Amino acid sequence: MIDLKNVVKIHQTGDEELIALKNISLHINEGEFTAIMGPSGSGKSTMMNILGLLDRFDEGDYILNGKNVTHLTSNESAHVRNKNLGFVFQSFNLMPRMTLLENVALPMVYAGVPAKERKERALEALTQVGLENRIKHRPNAISGGQKQRVAIARAIVNKPAVLMADEPTGNLDSKTTLEIMSIFQRLNREGTTVVMVTHEPDVAKYTKRIVSFKDGEIQDDQIIEKQKII
Amino acid sequence: MNITESFKMAVDSILANKMRSFLTMLGIIIGIAAVIAILAVGNGATSQITGTFNDLGASTISVSTSDDATDSQKITSQDMTSLKNSSDKIERISPDTMTRGTASAGNNEKTAIMLGGTTDMQYTSQTMDSAVTYGRYFNTTEYSEGSSVAVISADAARSLFNGRENVVGEKVNLKTSNGQVSVKLIGVTKSTLEKMVGSFNEEETPGYIAMPLTTLETLVPNATKITSLTVQVASKDDIQSVSNQIVNTLATRHDSVGEDVYTATNYLQALDQVDSVLGLFINFIAAVAAIALLVGGIGVMNIMLVSVTERTREIGTRKALGATNSNILFQFLMESVILCLIGGLIGLTLGISLALVVASSLGIQASFNISSVILVLLFSSIIGIFFGVYPARKAAKLDPIEALRYE
Repeated sequence: MIDLKNVVKIHQTGDEELIALKNISLHINEGEFTAIMGPSGSGKSTMMNILGLLDRFDEGDYILNGKNVTHLTSNESAHVRNKNLGFVFQSFNLMPRMTLLENVALPMVYAGVPAKERKERALEALTQVGLENRIKHRPNAISGGQKQRVAIARAIVNKPAVLMADEPTGNLDSKTTLEIMSIFQRLNREGTTVVMVTHEPDVAKYTKRIVSFKDGEIQDDQIIEKQKII
Repeated sequence: MNITESFKMAVDSILANKMRSFLTMLGIIIGIAAVIAILAVGNGATSQITGTFNDLGASTISVSTSDDATDSQKITSQDMTSLKNSSDKIERISPDTMTRGTASAGNNEKTAIMLGGTTDMQYTSQTMDSAVTYGRYFNTTEYSEGSSVAVISADAARSLFNGRENVVGEKVNLKTSNGQVSVKLIGVTKSTLEKMVGSFNEEETPGYIAMPLTTLETLVPNATKITSLTVQVASKDDIQSVSNQIVNTLATRHDSVGEDVYTATNYLQALDQVDSVLGLFINFIAAVAAIALLVGGIGVMNIMLVSVTERTREIGTRKALGATNSNILFQFLMESVILCLIGGLIGLTLGISLALVVASSLGIQASFNISSVILVLLFSSIIGIFFGVYPARKAAKLDPIEALRYE
């Protein structure tokens, strides 16, 4: 599903060069639920941006879903993001003036899906996260946990190959965190590949694999034998 | 993503900040309203003036001799005959000699303007109506013989004959400081009062009496030494060439070539002058309005730049969800165009109302045309695009990571 080969990323700030990723190779199979961990500055966020095709890298190759996506134009990456990747952000990033239904339907607008189908599929995605009764609400009328559920519905509405979550529980209390993690687990059981950046070991333990970064290198890569199921 | 989607997004975002959107539009509204109002009032005034000139006779040439012309240089009856024979483009020709005096019949007396001319004066005179309601105008024989006949205006007839209008066959005594003559009335024209603007007291306004030029000579010394003529041409197109020809013919006949004794002016020249003055005025105000629009456009650009900054995160999110650069560009461009278009439409309405108010207070008819409406909409869109491109490009070129990180 995801195949990174010898990826190098250099951050250029003025005259200083900072090697953010040092020759990273990482393989993630379909159906995996992977946590990317590490302290700040370890390169985990850079990793996530590269996996999400939001950032370019300087050396190496990236094969996503069988396709080499190393040298895409910005338009091509936009299309790949739209069709193959779903994003969940720490601070939800919902459009405040749109209803929940419109928020969830937004990726399909860019995919060129007809309005009627958008509505049906957005409703279906909202049903999957248990918010089918609030489709006409605006984001400011619902709680943080519910916002993140809307964001997840938005991320899965185009049926992406990989769901990318960047600290999805960072702004949530522990009870809501469990709710969100259980949704990720369910989606993963149903076949969605999930990659999640987190710095909380408590959250990482609900995944199936933990890749730890330090100083731009993979320090540890372990499969969790007994995934904690919520 | 299609136009409907971008349109909806743009309208949503404009409505989200109603006050700000309105204030942004204000520059455009004022600019467009000013342009529309000025053009409508200006065009209305121009066509009104043109219309007045046409009524007065755009086919009329006024010929006059200079103040220092000698008696031998003054225009004679023979000159008129010669001019009329020399060109079939000249339809009518008559002097406009007139004097002020008193007309009396029985015990009634009235101030009168006495006109002397050829038989063509019936049509060339701008003061007396050409329509004869009773009797007839004087004919060529009466003109050449200098018969003591005259045509009177209906209002003068009423004053002199105790309210009677059909006074054909009656006699009237005419008197000036130079002499007096008794004439027989052979015709009555429509009241001259009706031709005048506003209402006058019939008793106080002078009556009009027209007669052959030679008859007037009793009342005006040297009336046959003519200093001003009115000429009518058959077609407006010939007016300038005929004017030149008249001056040349008169100068040649009086041995005065190169002395600038005769001048022929036509309304076309006057009209051109009025047109160019009005045009200059309209252009000047239009330039001021254009500056207002420019300022309005800069206002739109400013607010769009603010909007892009405010929505940096939104832009980043949209890009992460799959929006291409051109999707983002189009969304913001659409917003600025709609902003300007709404401003344009409000300005159009305001401008039309303003024009109607101003025009009615000036007593003219505002003139609108569909092309100016289309022009306004087109121009507003162009302003929207021109001043929207920079902010929209800025939005489109945002780096998604930077944008997502923006607080």
